[in-house]
Amino acid sequence: MTLPLYPLWFLINFCSSLVIILCFLSLRVSQRLVRRDPENALWLFLNWLCITFVIFSILHLVAHFFLEAVTYWNLPNLAVAQRIFGSFDTVIYVTIAAITFFFHCIWRMYRRMEVDHHHLEETSHEILALNREMEALVMERTMAEMALGMAHGIRNPLHVIGGFSHRLLRKTDESDPSRAWASAIAEEAKRIEHMVERFETLAQRKTSFFAQEDLNSIVEATLELLRPELRAKNLHLVREIYPEPLVGRYNKHLLKVALAHLLRNAMEASRIGGTIMVRTCMEKDYSALIVRDTGRGMPPDVVDKVFVPFYTTKLGGTGLGMVFVRQIVDEHRGTITLESRPGRGTTVTIRLPLRFAESPEVSEEAGPSGEPGGPDGKPGTPPETH
Amino acid sequence: MRRRVIPVWLATAMLVFLAPRFSLAEGVSWYTFGTEGSYVHEFAHLLFAAAMLSFIYEIFHAGLQRYRGFRLLAWAWGLLAWWNLDAVVGHWAEWTLKNPVITGTGFGRQVLMSDLKTWIFYIGKIDHFVLLVPAFYLLYRGLRVLDQQAEVERP
Repeated sequence: MTLPLYPLWFLINFCSSLVIILCFLSLRVSQRLVRRDPENALWLFLNWLCITFVIFSILHLVAHFFLEAVTYWNLPNLAVAQRIFGSFDTVIYVTIAAITFFFHCIWRMYRRMEVDHHHLEETSHEILALNREMEALVMERTMAEMALGMAHGIRNPLHVIGGFSHRLLRKTDESDPSRAWASAIAEEAKRIEHMVERFETLAQRKTSFFAQEDLNSIVEATLELLRPELRAKNLHLVREIYPEPLVGRYNKHLLKVALAHLLRNAMEASRIGGTIMVRTCMEKDYSALIVRDTGRGMPPDVVDKVFVPFYTTKLGGTGLGMVFVRQIVDEHRGTITLESRPGRGTTVTIRLPLRFAESPEVSEEAGPSGEPGGPDGKPGTPPETH
Repeated sequence: MRRRVIPVWLATAMLVFLAPRFSLAEGVSWYTFGTEGSYVHEFAHLLFAAAMLSFIYEIFHAGLQRYRGFRLLAWAWGLLAWWNLDAVVGHWAEWTLKNPVITGTGFGRQVLMSDLKTWIFYIGKIDHFVLLVPAFYLLYRGLRVLDQQAEVERP
């Protein structure tokens, strides 16, 4: 049985020409992709691949055209040309493979970098959001304190004016025309004082960032959040939660962030199978939160720098975590202490006032002692100094 | 991966060295053709196929098969891998074909289908070119779809 060879010849030329056209079309699309996003590794790879495919399609057609001419059309003079193009054909196969294998490695690296980039972006967003919240908190507090200070400053001279105008009224005869003036002064002073009182009440109430919260619930919620991470590292968690609610004016979100950071630090410092202890308790007017780990601990020189901004011992750390923790505790008018011994672990203790709005520093500004008008705010009595 | 490849290489080397002399000689003669360039060409085809298969693996490993563009590309790479393996067989048939009987001249030339190898050579020749067209068409379509998606997602 014999079969004609011309269909093969026709097929070779027709299919190879089609492939050349398709390769050029693909190259055009891949170049468009690269132009749109020149830094995309995948588009760059596809573009390189399309370039090699274009070369491949041309070489393939030429090499096979010569091969058919030499073998079946009795044109032995073309044998050298066929061998040269055949070699190029081989080279282009190896090039395609090399580009693909190289991209295989680059892409893995690129994806890892992308994951790291996302992680970094998330962390920076978190830090930014926290920073913004902190700034707003500080600004609001400062404004409220300024307003209270101003109100306090107005109230003192107002008491003097009110007191003396009342004294003047008592000493003036009914027939005296200046009595009406003194009466007007006393009434206006009283009106201003009422206004100041209302203003003070409003300023004191403006503590939207803080609400009555139970520290125990905040701790429980944070521990629940971090439970998978603790389990993944096979760490034992010992919880000693104070049996009664530790209610105070707290910012739940900020305290969760601070506690999560402390717990993550403890997890990183702990060995697999280590123990982390979280304890809450009450100490006089303070609620205390203690986080203790049995990790590697820190030498004294590191402990001294823990709250220094941008100081970090972690690879890729920002050095801002503990700074934020301290700022959060400061915003709650609390204190934070850190004890650590190398090889023995670290203990962080946070003390938060149960009613921080009434702590000595605050009450001095918000409701100063020795007010001339007394607690009822009535402007009837002049100051003792007069 | 490396752990799996090393035993395969070792087993192959052991088989070659421990194989009886006559079977080894038969094997060598079974795949003896042309110059060293022919072998290089064959290995280049195998390398090309491996590269395409590795890229398909990469697409699935990265979960990109969810996208139509990458699915089309995976099909294109699959066909190219097939084409390369087909080319290895086709080249073997062509280069080991001893004195094929060709009759006639010009477009009237005919080949005598004397044995299986001649058939493999003839069909392999058809495959060699027919497979390339859908492979490159799918490559083009895949790139077009990716381009359209990128255009839609552009901010």
